[in-house]
Amino acid sequence: MTELNGRNTHDPVISLRGVSVAYGPRRVVEEVDLDVHRGEILVLLGGSGSGKTTLLKQVLGLAKPDTGSISINGVDITSCSKSELAAVRRRIGVAFQAGALFNSLSVEDNVALPLRELTRLAESTIKLVVWMKLTAVGLADAARLYPPELSGGMRKRAAVARAWALDPDILILDEPSAGLDPIVSAGLDELILFLKTAFRVTILVVTHELESAFRIADRIAMLQAGRLIAVDTKEKFQSNSHPRIRRFLDREPDQVSGGIQEGLMAYLRGVKYEH
Amino acid sequence: MRFLEQVGRSTISWAEDAGALTMQFWAVLRKLPRVVPIIGRKRRWRTTIEQMYAIGASALPIAGVMSLCSGFILALQGAAELRRFGALEYVVDLVAVGFTRELGPLITAIAVSGRSASAISAEVGTMVVTEEVDALRVMGLEPVEYTLAPKYLAAVITMPCLTVLSTLSGIFAGFVFLAFSIDMPLRVYFQAVAESILLRDMLLALVKSVVFATIIVHVGCLEGLRVSGGPEGVGRSTTTAVVKSIFLVIVADLAATAVFYLLGWSAVE
Repeated sequence: MTELNGRNTHDPVISLRGVSVAYGPRRVVEEVDLDVHRGEILVLLGGSGSGKTTLLKQVLGLAKPDTGSISINGVDITSCSKSELAAVRRRIGVAFQAGALFNSLSVEDNVALPLRELTRLAESTIKLVVWMKLTAVGLADAARLYPPELSGGMRKRAAVARAWALDPDILILDEPSAGLDPIVSAGLDELILFLKTAFRVTILVVTHELESAFRIADRIAMLQAGRLIAVDTKEKFQSNSHPRIRRFLDREPDQVSGGIQEGLMAYLRGVKYEH
Repeated sequence: MRFLEQVGRSTISWAEDAGALTMQFWAVLRKLPRVVPIIGRKRRWRTTIEQMYAIGASALPIAGVMSLCSGFILALQGAAELRRFGALEYVVDLVAVGFTRELGPLITAIAVSGRSASAISAEVGTMVVTEEVDALRVMGLEPVEYTLAPKYLAAVITMPCLTVLSTLSGIFAGFVFLAFSIDMPLRVYFQAVAESILLRDMLLALVKSVVFATIIVHVGCLEGLRVSGGPEGVGRSTTTAVVKSIFLVIVADLAATAVFYLLGWSAVE
């Protein structure tokens, strides 16, 4: 933790350079350069199909980019050995979109899993750590429940608790507020902010929810059709004049070729001819 | 040209299948020692025991009933022919040899395919869809060790046991038939059975059952890992897993029988 409190707050914890990914002829991510600084919350914003899930897979080392490099804590995970990748991953906690909790294990066993598998802590210590994490995310009462018995919000909290179990330097959260009602979603945002201020965790959030993005972000990166079109502080991002960002912020639909009206007219004409 | 193209494409896809199967197999073999009960890692071998119950023990009733029925069918069909030659007592040989060599392992394998190949591919497929497999990898736990290896081991241990029990129930069905038709006493029947089957046949049946077990779990896991496209993908892979595993079991059986025949191990005397 000492280097966390260290002098240089602008050294990148995650650093992407020229990352491109293609599925066959379709290019999903193109030439992405992105730095996540220590102790900040960076929100990766993007619509459906913008390539943010693909980009996330590369950062987690679950897939290799076609070109470019990704370094985490100074280790290039696109070229390092398996054991180095494992060491890097131990410093990362990930909460997946649907939680990815193991259904056969209770909530507390889910949180305890990384502790039991990857550390040699005594069972009593593990119990204590699990209790602390669950209390912090507000799930102490649900410790003995199984994932299918949890509500959507509780599942995400449990996923955050598990991601945080090994006290990682980096937390990566995939769509933490998707599918939650505004109150639960706001509660989750509070939790994310609390983790950042209380434990100085670096947090990368992938989402398409504007409201939540503006609540938690220090900086926002916007992904559009596989390209980063803006990386800026929250305030500057709000006044960005890029047409695509404006449309995203103002919730305007994309222009369908020829416009929706014309399409509708053509459809109606077709209907008339058929009868 | 179309035809050639199609042949080429399906050859490539078959070759890919075979390659993927082999790679997964080696990965699992390397991790197998860790899940062995008692000497493996504690948390892993517990899973193995659970899987032994799910794949083996709970398949016992269905495999037993299927063998009982087929044993009865075999006895009835055989008796209809053998009676014409006044050789009704050869029904004993027919059922005993037929079940130890062939039907016991095969029927067990079909029962387990239907139950477990589908269950395994559904379980693994759901884990892929809900990103649980990714979560395991990111946590530094190999899905191969954590999820797949216990299933392999459980199947390989329990299938031979199941095979023995379902062979016994098939042979017992033969006795039921003979007891009703010619009042054959139990002791006489089992003496005749013991005379007609060879130790070699029993050992070969056990070897076959281990091979079938491997095929079933292997196909189930691989189809599960290949799931894409959400919950519907899980359904599709479940169907494929059952069809492929039954098909491969029968092909493997044919291959084994052909080899035994060529080696001259099929002769009764």
